Amino acid sequence: MQTSDHNCISNVACFSCQTLEQHGSLESYCMHLNELSSSCRTKRHYGNIMYDRRVVRGNTYAKHIIPTTAQPDPAEIRRQQANRRRAIARKQAREQFRPNTPEALEGRKHTDVQTELYLEELSNIIATTDIECQTDPFLDRPATPLFIPAKSGKDVETQIEEGELFDFDVEVQPVLEVLVGKTIEQSLLEVMEEEELACLKAQQRAFEELRNNELAEVQRLQEMERRHNEEKERRIAQQREVLRKEKEIAEKIAARAYTQQYLAGLLPAVFTSLRSHGYFYNPVEKDIETNFFPWLMDEVNNRVERRCTAREILDSKRHCYFILFVDDNPFF
Amino acid sequence: MAGALTDPTRAPVAFGRRAVPQLFGELQRAGAAARLRALTSLCDLVHEPERLYQAVTGGFLKQLKVLFRDEDPSVRAKTCELLHLLTSHSIGRQAVLASSLLPPLCQLLDDSSFSCRRNVHRVLNRLALLPAGAEALLSLVPKLMLKLTKEEDEEVQLLLLSTLTHCSRLDALPGLASDGVSLLGRKLSHRSSNIRREAAAAMMALSVPMDGKRQVCEDAEVLPVLIGLLRDKDVEVQANAAGVIMSTVIITTGKQRCLDLDVLPVLLGLLSEKHGDDDKEEMKKRRKALIMYVLRALTSLAEAPNGRRLLLEQLPLVEKKAEAAEEDQDIRRATQTAIQVITWTP
Repeated sequence: MQTSDHNCISNVACFSCQTLEQHGSLESYCMHLNELSSSCRTKRHYGNIMYDRRVVRGNTYAKHIIPTTAQPDPAEIRRQQANRRRAIARKQAREQFRPNTPEALEGRKHTDVQTELYLEELSNIIATTDIECQTDPFLDRPATPLFIPAKSGKDVETQIEEGELFDFDVEVQPVLEVLVGKTIEQSLLEVMEEEELACLKAQQRAFEELRNNELAEVQRLQEMERRHNEEKERRIAQQREVLRKEKEIAEKIAARAYTQQYLAGLLPAVFTSLRSHGYFYNPVEKDIETNFFPWLMDEVNNRVERRCTAREILDSKRHCYFILFVDDNPFF
Repeated sequence: MAGALTDPTRAPVAFGRRAVPQLFGELQRAGAAARLRALTSLCDLVHEPERLYQAVTGGFLKQLKVLFRDEDPSVRAKTCELLHLLTSHSIGRQAVLASSLLPPLCQLLDDSSFSCRRNVHRVLNRLALLPAGAEALLSLVPKLMLKLTKEEDEEVQLLLLSTLTHCSRLDALPGLASDGVSLLGRKLSHRSSNIRREAAAAMMALSVPMDGKRQVCEDAEVLPVLIGLLRDKDVEVQANAAGVIMSTVIITTGKQRCLDLDVLPVLLGLLSEKHGDDDKEEMKKRRKALIMYVLRALTSLAEAPNGRRLLLEQLPLVEKKAEAAEEDQDIRRATQTAIQVITWTP
């Protein structure tokens, strides 16, 4: 800490943080050091350029220039160390030859004594006083009075008469022209647009009417064609019907004639054939034939058989009795 | 920017080519009110074909899909209005059809906000003018028929009817399948002549296929109403009614029914009607349609024996129309055909 001898309030250059600050009292400086110790690490790389060893001050003609190479030669290092050793040795030698106060004799002690006329108290403690100063609270600044400069110069008047600045009628003409022109242009465009549309519409309408007309005509002709075709078809169909019917009638007549002819000889033929097949018979005859004759024949057969048997017996037994044939045999 | 100061309902518009992309970018980023402003500005810009082309080809239509589901009904309505303007050009229509915007659009048909629904109908109407569009809308026809019964407002009904007419011109079968004839028959006696005209036009489109003709004959109320409409004050209503009759009498049942309902004197009356201001071009054009339809109807009716008999008596009247005094080629041709058919003998 370096202080000047005269004042208590002084510039204090703090080496630890290398800043030049104003400390009014020791307390404040101690506080400053306290906070520095806490933030020393961060602050260490900030340096006051005035006290930086690397900054060269004064003229540089004969100054030692730091070599640019980072690694100095070993020879250089040795030389520098030798120089340093020699400087230390020289200093030590000089100190040896400096006359000093001889040592105190036995029983005596050297002390410092003030020899001035007036004794002064020497102490490390610097007498300090705190002085404060405070401004009065500000009063509201009153409004500055209106500054009215003193009147100086001459009063002059002027008046603009009508027609002097500009002539309205002449000036307004271009403006009016533009306004009216634009309006009329716009309205002309609109009217033209409407007219165009109306024209188009009228043309469309005329076309539509013609089209409708022609369409109706076409449809009418189509209808007519269709009706005629239908009529023709119907007539042709009718004719065909008629022809068919006629053919049918002719066939029917032919069939009728043929049938009549065929059937004319049918009845007698039928009867003849039936009669020939024996379908008409006399029932009495039939009955006699079916019932009576078989019985008769059977009976005859029986009789004849009996007769035969008898004859055989007779033949076999010739000397049978003639009495055997004494029965009611009308035939004998 | 002047736009922000002068008109608080519109977003400021960038200059030149950046206008449309920047507004679409704002649509993506911004909050609800800013979206409405950007949409309003876009609607104004899109009137011009160049900007429309830019909007359509820049691929911005996908963003509109998101806007359809926005909570604010005015935003939805404005989006539909923007679409409506886009479809006024053919590229716009094609782009809308190609970009699959139709399904979300159709969901908006049931939207709670009236203006949104009306704008959706406007878009569908414009789309139906294109044949490809009408084809795409064919699947919607049953739903539109349902809407017809429910919607009260006249403008929306008109739009619906004209969309249905265009779709049915392409293919009338879906319309017929969803009972179109009886629905339209009820609309024919509406008090507004616009609706009557559109309903009659739709009926005319529906009666082109055979099935439609048969249905018109079968429905007992439709024909008398149509014949009543022939005496209507509005020429277009008369023309459309005559058109329906013209297509109905092509089939035999139609002929019989119409002759039973004594339609011939009415038609002949229409033919010889003279207007005080006949030299007006427009009136002539409108009456031309009426006269042509009437002539065709008479031609078809003349194919029936009773019809022919009646018309033979009125032949001089018809011949007058075929005179060289009549400038219009088509009318002359039609009258000649009519005379041919009337004087034909089997």
